[in-house]
Amino acid sequence: MTDLAALSALSLAKAIRDKKVSSLEATEAAIERLRACHELTNCIISLEADEARAGARAADAAIAKGNAGVPLTGVPLAHKDMFDRKGKIASWGAKLRSGKPANEDSTAIARFKASGALQIAALHLAEFAYGPTGHNYVLGHARNPWDPTRITGGSSAGTGAAVAYGAIPVGLGSDTGGSLRLPAACCGVTSIKPTWGRVSRAGAMPLSPALDTVGVIARHVEDLALALGILAGPDPRDTAATTLPVPDYVARLADPVKGLKLGVDEAVVGEADPQVQRMVEQVAGILGKLGLHRTSCRFPDWQTLDHLVQLVQFPDASAAHTAFLRTRANEYGPQVRARAEVGHFISAVDHLTALRARGMFVERTLQETFKDTDIAILPILADPLPTISGLDVSGGPQVQAAMGRVVKFTRPINYLGLPTLTLPIPRAGGLPNGIQLVGRPYAEATLLAVGKAYQREVPPEIARPL
Amino acid sequence: MASSNDPQGASGGDDAASHLDMPPERRAAAKAQAAMLSRTADRIARELPFGADVDDFRRALIQGAKS
Repeated sequence: MTDLAALSALSLAKAIRDKKVSSLEATEAAIERLRACHELTNCIISLEADEARAGARAADAAIAKGNAGVPLTGVPLAHKDMFDRKGKIASWGAKLRSGKPANEDSTAIARFKASGALQIAALHLAEFAYGPTGHNYVLGHARNPWDPTRITGGSSAGTGAAVAYGAIPVGLGSDTGGSLRLPAACCGVTSIKPTWGRVSRAGAMPLSPALDTVGVIARHVEDLALALGILAGPDPRDTAATTLPVPDYVARLADPVKGLKLGVDEAVVGEADPQVQRMVEQVAGILGKLGLHRTSCRFPDWQTLDHLVQLVQFPDASAAHTAFLRTRANEYGPQVRARAEVGHFISAVDHLTALRARGMFVERTLQETFKDTDIAILPILADPLPTISGLDVSGGPQVQAAMGRVVKFTRPINYLGLPTLTLPIPRAGGLPNGIQLVGRPYAEATLLAVGKAYQREVPPEIARPL
Repeated sequence: MASSNDPQGASGGDDAASHLDMPPERRAAAKAQAAMLSRTADRIARELPFGADVDDFRRALIQGAKS
């Protein structure tokens, strides 16, 4: 029998359409794998098994009648628990959520539903999606499926773990400072953080609207392409969602990659641990074999970008949390409370300076960094995969420095709003890690084509404890 | 108005965020972080054209997609 866990969403959808497997069988198998994954990793916030089975039966009935005209009919997926679903309360990874159910689905969930996909579980995340490691001091920490003593990365921690484990082929997440890239890297899978504005955030929990980006984690790059095509496009509920045409990302996976220029900023990469620098070189070498030409590139001063993104994010997040911080501060976990307080000490002038400077820095990056570069390669984690205990700084005095080190290579890209693709390193039996490929605005199709070619050399894996 | 040369001004002064229940060491750490970031904001503010606007970011992304 086909190993359903190993299939991409695209392949599973075809198998269901072709009646080689029923949606109910696929859903039962996914529920079983999710439960096993949860035991290992604490990946689930709520598993909706009965609803999932009902949805699967409806999908099978539709297929039996010849009505399978949408791409993901009957495919069981799951999402980070921060997206509105009509009649349900998303936990946002927190204890102090208001008790009012959502009036309507978030746009991302609605678009996945319209594609025929089933949402069978709401998955773990950092409290209020405000943490890059998978630690959650109110709902319990997430654990890495390759080694449960290691972090999953966050904030889309459960999505990363569940996808890596093979419980689901694709999961929905978000990225404000690295929250799609870090779990993908830590769990050894792929993710696409689209250009800011490519995907609607309507109905997704806001953390820092100036930076928030909705995207997906998957084992197969082809599934990132499929999902991005489903999610992308204008939305009257999110005025930031661009009206630029949405390419056929799946068709564009076949775009030639030979001759693309791969930029390496050695000064920035050199700030990572030497082992991580070697990982970047290894992936760059594989991309070189695929025909990409290595060039040198230079990002704007990285520390400046890192400061500017904090000047945007901290006040944004503090503004979102100010009511809870005034009235229910003791119900926060210590880490999020400490981080959410910082924005209150940043002046409005400094916040606006960072926002006003953003266009200038994007232009500078395009004119200088991407002058002779199509794609830039950067680390994601600064260090080899950390342990949960090693980063268990709670809300103590090391919190800003420790978390700042984790997002050192990710959050500056959110300031620039550029798209990134996460690719896992070849593990060779060791722990997972990943790199990010950064593209020009709205160049997701190019990134995905490179990722597809890369996976011919470094095939997707399913995580099991080493 | 908070001046970036005066990180103990409105944003970092003793009365900043007085409504928050914070222990002194965490308050001091938050103020120090804000002051450090403020120095970068000050440097960048000197480079920025007077007409720089928050919406320049979206325009730059769209323009970048077309170029």
